[in-house]
Amino acid sequence: MINVVTGIGWITQREYGCVRRKLRKSYSEMKSLRTDLQGELLFSYPVKGFGRFDRVSQMTCCVTALAFHDAGMSYAQDRKQDIGIVGTNSDGCLQANLDYFNDFVANGRSLGRAKLFVYTLPSIPMSEAAIYFQCQGPLLYMTFPIRPVASLLRQADRMILQGESTAMLAVSASEEDAQCFMMRRADDVSGEQVFRIEKVIEIAERGSPVGEMIAALANL
Amino acid sequence: MPPAVEGRGVQLAGIETVVVAFDVVSPYGWGVESCWEGLFSGNTAIRRFDRFSTESLRTDKAALVSGLDPNADETLVMQMVRPLIERSISAIPTDALLLLATTNGEIDVLERSVLHGTPNANGSCPDHLASKIQDLCGLHEPGLVVSAACASSSAAVAQGAAMIRGGDRDCVLVVASDNVSEFVAAGFSSLMALDKDVARPFDKSRRGLSLGEAAAFVLLMSDERASREGRPALAEIAGWGLASDANHITGPSRDGSGLALALRKALQMADMPAQEVGSISAHGTGTEYNDSMEMKAFKSVFREKSLPTYSVKGGIGHTMGTAGLVDIIVAIETLREKAVPPTVNLRDVDDEAVGWASPEPRACDGAVTVSTNSGFGGINCAVALRARQ
Repeated sequence: MINVVTGIGWITQREYGCVRRKLRKSYSEMKSLRTDLQGELLFSYPVKGFGRFDRVSQMTCCVTALAFHDAGMSYAQDRKQDIGIVGTNSDGCLQANLDYFNDFVANGRSLGRAKLFVYTLPSIPMSEAAIYFQCQGPLLYMTFPIRPVASLLRQADRMILQGESTAMLAVSASEEDAQCFMMRRADDVSGEQVFRIEKVIEIAERGSPVGEMIAALANL
Repeated sequence: MPPAVEGRGVQLAGIETVVVAFDVVSPYGWGVESCWEGLFSGNTAIRRFDRFSTESLRTDKAALVSGLDPNADETLVMQMVRPLIERSISAIPTDALLLLATTNGEIDVLERSVLHGTPNANGSCPDHLASKIQDLCGLHEPGLVVSAACASSSAAVAQGAAMIRGGDRDCVLVVASDNVSEFVAAGFSSLMALDKDVARPFDKSRRGLSLGEAAAFVLLMSDERASREGRPALAEIAGWGLASDANHITGPSRDGSGLALALRKALQMADMPAQEVGSISAHGTGTEYNDSMEMKAFKSVFREKSLPTYSVKGGIGHTMGTAGLVDIIVAIETLREKAVPPTVNLRDVDDEAVGWASPEPRACDGAVTVSTNSGFGGINCAVALRARQ
């Protein structure tokens, strides 16, 4: 059994897009990115509480919407799917931790703010995506010290091969950029243009910035 | 050789993963024996503490590891992890892959940065801790961090076992630690999740969790390597399952369907019918919703009869990222000792848990047990453990 990548979404500081559908657009700020995705129906229904998400959660939800769109997959708020999410980045939830604790100290160390505290776990961005897209598969955050995106893809690949899920979203998201790969079993995908997992990993191995990696993937 | 997961056409190398070493420091003291005896004593390690001001918190009680110094140069987590590893260093091969499980890592680095202006708040990022542990163990390669909220360490065990089962590695060291901090205490206080007194898992009067701290490690090996090196196989990681509630960012799914799915996946992977399971190590935080959710999940999976079920959190509090590893270690001991500990602080068993949880220790003869954990964001993890003769 082999797995394939059926959709790739990406976001840089000023652009976003999908690889298979050759989508590339500009945006000015997170608010306009969300508006664009809603307008294009990449968010099929409103993302409840999006405005209170921390930045990494916002990036994760947006790039996951792009990956779903690129993969031609639908989702619905009343239909759970066997899709897992594994995520990575370089600094966990450092900014969310600082935001929460600075606020706590500024308020005299008397009470933490729950709406900031909830984001002080590196796995929360993936959980926000799981809630919105109704993904009930495995969910975890991992760091990979060497070639993180390639290692992330291998991790997602292995999780499908070992039967932990029938599909996985592999997300690398920071405050500045994000990429999301929809990975599925080849047997579950028919007649669709897909990316062979080994080719995607080969490109990811180069360790290029997001923009360069997306350009290389677009040429596959 | 474990069969492929039915209906999924999965190709597995089929290598069995065994636990060959473990250790823990908990609020009951150093070593597995201290933790085991502490639980069986029925006495709680949750008590008043003064590590930081609790004036504005919902509680002034938590379960702390004795002797840690919050003013030392070394972080609280490293004050637990360093001696723990040092006392077992000869058992840890230098080619082991490190998986570090934690929710907040060395959070005191960040606290000091904000409170006292010390530089490098990014030193609190968990990969820094992983690097320290790599050096401490003399490991050849850098480790990975696994974070899945309060299911972090059981998820790490699952992924470690997956790497071995798939033939990628033959030795994985899972290390977990989190400490009681003002950062976390204030946060849980704001969520109204803390019991004002002590956590009472599965009790009718339960009102929340109690914080705790711990450090633990488990050394996983392929069965083949363990045999070759003459290491005793303490238990087998027979199967695991992770599933997301996809419901709410802090509250568990009320019907327990996410945890039930994780349990079924674990049993399916282990090729184990539910009837073979002899006991359950529950997450059992002591919150109204978690404990209720777990009982619903257990009853939906284990339909034939109630099973001896226990939680350690009345004894040692909720140790966050370490909870799963402590649970797995205690669960392995239940297989060896053929007994399950009492659920400390449980007095009046909730109607949903009657026949399952108990304030008394119980004999338990089964060769199989499951350990479950759930966390913020709706993460659920179940690990099935099989005794080895």
